[in-house]
Amino acid sequence: MRESQNPYILEMRNIFKSFGGVNALRDVSFQCRPGTVHALVGENGAGKSTLIKILAGALLPDSGEIIFKGQKHQSFSTRKALNSGISVIYQELALVSQMTVAENIFLGREPRKYFGIVDKKRLKIEAKKLLKQLGFEVDMDMEVGEMTVAYQQMVEIAKALSKNADLIIMDEPSAILAGHELDQLFLIIESLKKRGVTIIYISHRLEEVFRIANEVTILKDGQLVGTKPIKDLSRGELVKMMVGRTLEEVFPVSFNQLGNPVIQVEEISTKTILNQVSFNLREGEILGVAGMVGSGRTELARAIFGADPLTSGTIKIKGQDVVFKNPADAIRSKISLVPEDRKYHGLFTKLSILNNITLPILSKISRWGFTDKKKENEIVERERQIHSIDMTSGNQEVQYLSGGNQQKVVLSKSLQTIPEVIIMDEPTRGVDVGAKFEIYQLIRQLNKDGIAILMISSELPEILGLSDRILVMREGKIVAELTPNETNEEMIIEFATTNTQQSVP
Amino acid sequence: MKRSFFQKHAIILIVYALILVLVVIGAFNSEHFLTLRNLTNVMRQAAYLGTAALGEMMVILIAGIDLSVGSLVKLCVLVSAILMDGDPDNVWMAVSLTLGLGLSVGLIHAFLINELNMSPFVVTFASLFILKGISLSITTKPIGRASRDFLMLYSEKIAGIYVIIFFFIILILMMMFLLNKTIFGKHIYAIGGNLSVAQLSGISVKRVRYGVYSLCSVLAAATGLLWLMRMGVGDPVIGNGLELNVIIAVVIGGTSLFGGRGTVIGVLGGVLLLTFTDNLLVILGVSQFYSGLIKGLIFVAAVSLHKMENR
Repeated sequence: MRESQNPYILEMRNIFKSFGGVNALRDVSFQCRPGTVHALVGENGAGKSTLIKILAGALLPDSGEIIFKGQKHQSFSTRKALNSGISVIYQELALVSQMTVAENIFLGREPRKYFGIVDKKRLKIEAKKLLKQLGFEVDMDMEVGEMTVAYQQMVEIAKALSKNADLIIMDEPSAILAGHELDQLFLIIESLKKRGVTIIYISHRLEEVFRIANEVTILKDGQLVGTKPIKDLSRGELVKMMVGRTLEEVFPVSFNQLGNPVIQVEEISTKTILNQVSFNLREGEILGVAGMVGSGRTELARAIFGADPLTSGTIKIKGQDVVFKNPADAIRSKISLVPEDRKYHGLFTKLSILNNITLPILSKISRWGFTDKKKENEIVERERQIHSIDMTSGNQEVQYLSGGNQQKVVLSKSLQTIPEVIIMDEPTRGVDVGAKFEIYQLIRQLNKDGIAILMISSELPEILGLSDRILVMREGKIVAELTPNETNEEMIIEFATTNTQQSVP
Repeated sequence: MKRSFFQKHAIILIVYALILVLVVIGAFNSEHFLTLRNLTNVMRQAAYLGTAALGEMMVILIAGIDLSVGSLVKLCVLVSAILMDGDPDNVWMAVSLTLGLGLSVGLIHAFLINELNMSPFVVTFASLFILKGISLSITTKPIGRASRDFLMLYSEKIAGIYVIIFFFIILILMMMFLLNKTIFGKHIYAIGGNLSVAQLSGISVKRVRYGVYSLCSVLAAATGLLWLMRMGVGDPVIGNGLELNVIIAVVIGGTSLFGGRGTVIGVLGGVLLLTFTDNLLVILGVSQFYSGLIKGLIFVAAVSLHKMENR
């Protein structure tokens, strides 16, 4: 009787889960009200994804109960979760890029005529109807791989709706979206809410949580910290619940001892997007570069690093004109790049920590072509201490490290050449809050040692908290130069987006 | 930014254009080339390569590979010839047992891949040697005999078309239907396109694999039967290196080796291109040794076209 008056669509009770003796979840319970957006936050490794996987039926809990729509389940299978109306939209979108929009939406549940024959006409009509409900009109015959990620995400949402999902779990949906696309996603979430669909929203970006969530559940180290209505929380309180540290402590203070310009960039343009960009970077300075995805931030890093050729303009290092034909030239001039995507451009994930860190300086530490194992081990041990890399040994493969620790290895690797300038592209992407703090401290430390840092980031709090100066880019140009204490997030966004053409897929 | 018809089917169009070029070259260089007799011969030869290629195509579509096709064809020629032994009463028995042999080989492949998590490359590479080893331990000289009426089928016609070509056309139509209209077909493309998505969507990947690998091996067995029809005896030379020709034909036809993309019409183009190449070499009196060289070059060209298309 009580179950029928249950005010919650979903209850997870006393969930335990461990992997090989390590507790991933300890006694986690939380409830979701129907037709609301419930945010799930916590650092990486807090247990969010384990919890989601249990809910999706991909993992079995060691103990605990799931009560969904008043029905008690000891455990879930993927099928059972799907059939009872739970859909998960994973970060890596679950779409087959070679197949069409309609085929993707009904994959595995194709409407059939007789025997095993697909009813193509109905397939298209149904798919079109679903997307129309979401306010989207696309060609049903278009292959999903030809669409923008934002549209692909809509296809995913349509797929969830086609399964009559009552609960949609979105795992960091914003990570792949640009600003205006995010607004569109939020509109859709609103309309889903109106239809009574419940949404569990996982995100690293707290701004979003405050924008759309009704309630928020915080996890830390596999345990529940609490569930609160969002209106009862301030940003600072939420961060504190997540990391047990206040916001002020997150960004270490600046040392503000600026020296002479190390790099002077004068009106450089490239074939990619850069259009007459000028700025200079001084010793001991952190120069933040903000802007939307596609504004030319990454291209700026590539141009300075010699990865893309200049079509006009000059770069001066300590007053001397330089021309970098390739990244090797830039490295010789003591510039180092920490690339955006560490898995593809920054690390050899299948090699050991040791091999990664010492790679840039192999010639220095080897004799007659033989590497000095002892020296290598010393270096790795030193780096482990300096950057507090959490590892079992130097021989551990990088792929088994957490995102934060991987990023520390990338940083450590790029420091081996003793650079004077470091270009960092999204230094804390996919890194949990605790590790972020350590990376911020490291950046400050480098800064104190007199290294100039060009820091590109999408995370405005980071830009505002660390930079000595901020450049805002838009459409390949620098549109504003700001000082952190005279600006705020809204102002930066204003500069970064005004007059931006809406891109149409 | 929808790609146009030409962009989408660039490889297939190029393949058919190349076939046309070969036909024109052939027509100008030999009076025998554009004769009905030669063209039907080419078609009949294409049916041999094509039957095996359509099976291989499905395997490659799910991002797998079957390297055992040539060896299986060889074994099936021998087994069917021995079973038939020149007796017309044995025809049905020999045909069904041979197809059954193919089916079992395919099921074993799928079992090892599905249940023991072995890679298709390893499984079928081992199979290549095992099946060849069994064949050569049975005989190294021609063995067995086709029955007379089975042999006659090679030159028999239905409605003015050779039985073999007729069979091949039916097979093509069935394959097109299977891949484009059925759920099984959709699931083949989905698995090759993105395995984890297919699994998450509740598609039974294992079942599709069982189906695909057995179909591939059954079609290889059928190719063996077609060879018996042509040779009349179980010749252990048949099938040597066939798997490579088959894979080349499939890839030239625009099938991605990474799975998820490919059409029957494309593979048919690949098969015809290879068959016309061989035929033209014979007609022009060029040494067969150049055949491999030319096919290799076409193969490289096709793969680089793939790359450019995907950029």
